[in-house]
Amino acid sequence: MSLSINNLGRRIGDRWILRHLDLDVSDGECLALVGPSGCGKSSTLRLIAGLDQVDEGTITIQGEDITHTAAIERKVGMVFQSYALFPHLSVAANLELGLKVRGCARDERQRKVRHVLQLVQLEDRAALKPAQLSGGQRQRVALARALLRDPQIYLLDEPMSNLDAQLREDLRPELRRLVLQDKKPVVYVTHDQHEAMAMADRIAVLRNGRIEQVATPMQLYQHPDTLFVAEFIGRPQINVLAAEQGVVRAIRPEALELRADGLPCRLLHREWLGSSQIWQLESPAGTLRMLTSAEQTVPERIAIGWSEQLEHRFNAENGQRIKG
Amino acid sequence: MTLQRRLWIVLLLTWSLGPLLWQLYTSFSINEALVTPFADLPQRWTFAHYQAVLTGDPPFWRYLFNSLIVGAGSTVLTLIIAIPAAYALTRSQARISQVARVVLIGAALFPYVLLFLALLEVARSLNLGNHLLALTIPYAALSQPLAILLLSSAFRDLPIDLEEAATLEGLDLWQKLRWVLIPLIAPATTSTAILVFLFAWNEYPIALTWISDSNLLTLPVAMARIAGSSIYSVPYGAYAAATVLGSIPLILLVLMFQKSIVSGLTSGAVKG
Repeated sequence: MSLSINNLGRRIGDRWILRHLDLDVSDGECLALVGPSGCGKSSTLRLIAGLDQVDEGTITIQGEDITHTAAIERKVGMVFQSYALFPHLSVAANLELGLKVRGCARDERQRKVRHVLQLVQLEDRAALKPAQLSGGQRQRVALARALLRDPQIYLLDEPMSNLDAQLREDLRPELRRLVLQDKKPVVYVTHDQHEAMAMADRIAVLRNGRIEQVATPMQLYQHPDTLFVAEFIGRPQINVLAAEQGVVRAIRPEALELRADGLPCRLLHREWLGSSQIWQLESPAGTLRMLTSAEQTVPERIAIGWSEQLEHRFNAENGQRIKG
Repeated sequence: MTLQRRLWIVLLLTWSLGPLLWQLYTSFSINEALVTPFADLPQRWTFAHYQAVLTGDPPFWRYLFNSLIVGAGSTVLTLIIAIPAAYALTRSQARISQVARVVLIGAALFPYVLLFLALLEVARSLNLGNHLLALTIPYAALSQPLAILLLSSAFRDLPIDLEEAATLEGLDLWQKLRWVLIPLIAPATTSTAILVFLFAWNEYPIALTWISDSNLLTLPVAMARIAGSSIYSVPYGAYAAATVLGSIPLILLVLMFQKSIVSGLTSGAVKG
């Protein structure tokens, strides 16, 4: 494993903001850290980068223990949420600065900068200042800077959260291709579960500084280990029924279907999405979301049911999945 | 723009620029014109005051030059100490920097005139009298509190991301300051430099007591000597000419840097 995190912990005062974190990311793999704000995903990234002190556990990159190595000596390529481009320098100077202080000769520097600008398709913007670029272009400059670092690992902290939805969608495959082309581990922090599913090979869901589950997007969706993961992953959100005898049942909106002998419901709201539609239903079991085909018409009397195999069952006490 | 607003502007400009224009008028007027402003004189304008001031012994440009040396020296010395201090202050623990800030504000508000007798003793025992560059030591010291406060608020306004990005790029502390942080606080540095320069340019009591050699006098002391050169009359014309000459470098300085002075003084007021 090329990035290996063991029992990682970070404390502020007496409070552990992150604890007992174990993660492995292989070369050429993109792992997404997702979770609600304050769950510790950005803290984890900062610990890997060396921007904060580790209070417990170890971080190993390519077999080398870097837990207490200074940030300046770690070879990490980081893209900040704010991009953190130096506003007083041109695009080319932004990219050259790191190379210069790392002792790269002038000709070599210029060749490398030209090459990376080509890669991110910004050759014609080299002389501009960051403020003269659009959000998407700035993000690409920040990425180019990380690429030039020739790092052992890439760390991306919400790299697309400042872009509009359309641009995010356009940039996703491009970003994934660029950071994965030199076969290094990539850790990608996002609060957007949809983006995580689109970008990552595996996803780690964090909650209150602990890992809830690490798995492929598909596994997370189909076999969530905890109720929290089931609720966090997948939109429209999973339907959670009231606890009965210590068991919480949850059903994905697309698993609901119209059944003559099912629960009688009343339609509260209908959202038409083009290729599908979401019905919000009032039922004896509470409000339910149902995802159905665009062609489905609303019958006079709505009654719904679902197949029991598609039900997820969780322990009402601790939210853990009940197997079998 | 309403008439009322225009009126206010005219009033304000008259109030602040009036004395300066009066100095200018005085400096070019013959003495008779000053005493009898409404008399019908055949010739009321003259360059004589400027001539007198510039050909005195030592000539006036000598004082200008002395003040420039002291001003520039004090500014450079202040910044060399204040920039690292301000940076350190913004990066130290919250409690330490809070205490330091209170102490600095206290020091900035302290009336320094109370210190000058003690400073005179220091100058005497260290043999600092009659050295132009020696004046930069108390000037830089007295300017520290204000300079550190202004610069540290500029450092504090920089997003921490920028510094962290620089660290990850492999820049050490000195390189970060050299390539990223100091260039980014340039507006605040400029306005701080000008305030320090102004202080050194205008300072009177220390300059008066530390310097006695007439070749080494700074402008304020030299001007006071012109004003008090005779006990029977006040040479208003010469005095005004000296004032005008002494203001020119400052006016040039402010005109040159007015944009960064304004942006430096308002830094932190609005989050960009």
